[in-house]
Amino acid sequence: MAKKKAGERTWSFFRFVILFGIGFIVLYPLIYMVSCAFRERSDMNDPTVMWLPRHYTLDIIRETWRIMDFGSTLKNTFFLNIGCSLVQVMSCAVTGYGFARFSFKGKRLLFGIVIMMILVPPQVISLPLYTQFRFFGIKGIFSVNLIDSMLTMYLPAMTANGIRSGLMILIFRQFFRGLPKELEDAACIDGCGPFMTFVRVMIPNAASAFLTVFLFSVVWYWNDYYVSTAFFTDTRTVATVLYDLDSRLSRALYGDSRIRPSARELIVWKEAGCLMSVLPILIMYVFLQKHFTEGIERSGLAS
Amino acid sequence: MSSGKKRRLMTYGRRRQLYGWGFISLWFAGTVMFFLIPLIKSLWYSFNTVTIEPGRIKTEWAGTGKFVYAIEDPKFTDALSSTIAETIWKTPLILIFSMFIAVVLNQNFRGRSLARAVFFLPVIIVTGPVFKIISGDMDVTGSRSAEQFSTMMSTDLVDELMQFLGIYNISGKMSAVIGAVADNIFGIVWSSGIQILLFLAALQNIPPSAREAAMLDGATAWEYFWKITIPYLGPFILANFIFTVIDSFTSPMNRVMGRILNMKSEVLYGEASAMAWIYFAIILVMIGIVYRIISKFIYYEND
Repeated sequence: MAKKKAGERTWSFFRFVILFGIGFIVLYPLIYMVSCAFRERSDMNDPTVMWLPRHYTLDIIRETWRIMDFGSTLKNTFFLNIGCSLVQVMSCAVTGYGFARFSFKGKRLLFGIVIMMILVPPQVISLPLYTQFRFFGIKGIFSVNLIDSMLTMYLPAMTANGIRSGLMILIFRQFFRGLPKELEDAACIDGCGPFMTFVRVMIPNAASAFLTVFLFSVVWYWNDYYVSTAFFTDTRTVATVLYDLDSRLSRALYGDSRIRPSARELIVWKEAGCLMSVLPILIMYVFLQKHFTEGIERSGLAS
Repeated sequence: MSSGKKRRLMTYGRRRQLYGWGFISLWFAGTVMFFLIPLIKSLWYSFNTVTIEPGRIKTEWAGTGKFVYAIEDPKFTDALSSTIAETIWKTPLILIFSMFIAVVLNQNFRGRSLARAVFFLPVIIVTGPVFKIISGDMDVTGSRSAEQFSTMMSTDLVDELMQFLGIYNISGKMSAVIGAVADNIFGIVWSSGIQILLFLAALQNIPPSAREAAMLDGATAWEYFWKITIPYLGPFILANFIFTVIDSFTSPMNRVMGRILNMKSEVLYGEASAMAWIYFAIILVMIGIVYRIISKFIYYEND
C-alpha cells in the first residue's frame, strides 16, 4: 500500500513536469510575441535581453497597425470571414439534419459525396472554381465576373460548401442522430411540420453543438488565407495581410517590396503583427474555452 | 379501408423522403456547382492545355503531357516527396503523442482544466499564417531554450518514465523515435490539438464497468491500457489519422500547395491541375492502405 502511494506521488510529479514542459512549448511563441511587440528594435541585438525588453515602446505596435492597415482589415475580416462562418454553420446544420433524420433514395451516395468533400484537398478544385467564378453564369447566355466580390465566399458558405464544410456536416449529422426520436414525434403530434420541428425543437436542443461548430468555423475562416487569396486580387483580411507582411514591411521600411531583409531585422514587426491577429480570437478562446473543449465531447463527434 | 390506409402510409413515407430532399437540396445545388463540376473540370484540365481567352476558357487536349510535365518539374517533385515523407513520419508521432496526452489529461488532478485549456490553444492558431511565422521565428531565434527544454525532457525524463512504467529494455528504434519527437516537438505539439480532444472524448466514453471488470481480474495499468483503452480508441485512431492527413492539406507549411498556387499565378492551369491530382491520388492511396490495416484491428462495440 505504501509502495503504491509512493508510486502515485512519483507519477504525479512526472505528470506535472511533462505537462509543464509541453505547456511551455505551447505558450512559448505567445510569450515571445508579447515580449517582442513591446520592445525597441535595438533590443533584438542586445544579448542580455531574453524575455524582458530593456526599452518599452508602443511604436512597433503603432507602426504595424499602420502597415497592416489594421482597422479596415479587421472590418473586412468581420464582414467576410465571420459573416461566412455564421452562414455556413446554419447551412451545414440544415444539411446535417437532413442526412441524420430522413431516409431517402440515394442517401448513401450523397453522403459519400460529403465524405469526398472532406477528403479532396482544396487545391484540386480551386482552379476550376476560379474559372467558374470568373465566368459565372449560364454558358452562352450570360456570365458575370465574380472575382473580387464577396460572393465568391458567401455563395459556397450559403450552400454548405465553404471551408471544411464536409467536416461540419458530418459533425451535425452525428449530433442530430444522437438526439432521441421522441422529440420529433412529440413535435409532430403537436402539429409541427418538419421544418418547424427543426427550428423550434432541434435547434434549441443543439445549442451547444451549434456553439462548438460555430467556434471552429470562426477559427477556420479567420485563419484561412488559401481561399481568400484564390478568388481575390486584393482582399485584405487579417490572415492574408499577415501572410503578405514581409513584402509590406519591406515596402514601408525600405521603400521597396523586393528587398528581402533578414528575418531577424523584421522580427519585432512580425511578432507584433502576429500578436494583433491572434488577439481577437484568443480573447474569444479565453471566454468560450469550455465550449471548445467540452462541446466536441458532447457534440457526438465521439461516435 | 385497408387500401386507403396503405396509401396514406406510402404517402407519409414518400413525404418523409421529400422532406429529406428538401433539407439537403440547398447543399446539393451548391455541391454540384462548387464541388462536383469543379472536380470534373479539374480532372479534364489536367489532360489539357488551358488558355484564357476573353470571355471563355479554351482547352486543347494534351493527353498525359501535363502529368509528365509535373513529374519532370524538380520543384514540384521535391515539394511532393518532402511533404509526403513528412506526412508519413509525422502522423504516427502526432497520433502517439496526442493519445499519450489524452490519457494523462483524462486523469484526475489539480489544474486539469487549465492544462486542457493550454493544450487546445494551438487549435485556434495552427491553421493560419501566424503558425508559419512563429515556427519560422523559432528557427531564426529563440528556439534554443525550447530545444534545450525538449532535449532534457526527452533524453532523461522519458527514459526514466519508461523505466518507471516498467519497460526497461528500450530498443534502439524506440530511442530513435523519441529523438525524432524531441527534435520536432514544437510542430507535433502544435498540430495535436483536435486529436487530443477526440481521444479525450473517446476515453470518457469507456464505460466504468470495463474498468471495474479489469480491476477485479487484477489487471495492471499497463495491461489495462493495451486490453481496454486501445481497443476502445480504435475507431478514433482511424478518425484522427484521416483528420491529421487532411489537416496537412491546408497547412500554410504545405509546400505542394505553394507550388500549385505558383503554377496558377503563371496561368499554367493544366499543369497545376495535374499536380493537384497527383498529390490527391497519393494521399488517397495512403489513406486507403492505412484504413485497411487499422480496420483489421478495430473493435466496434455495436457491430
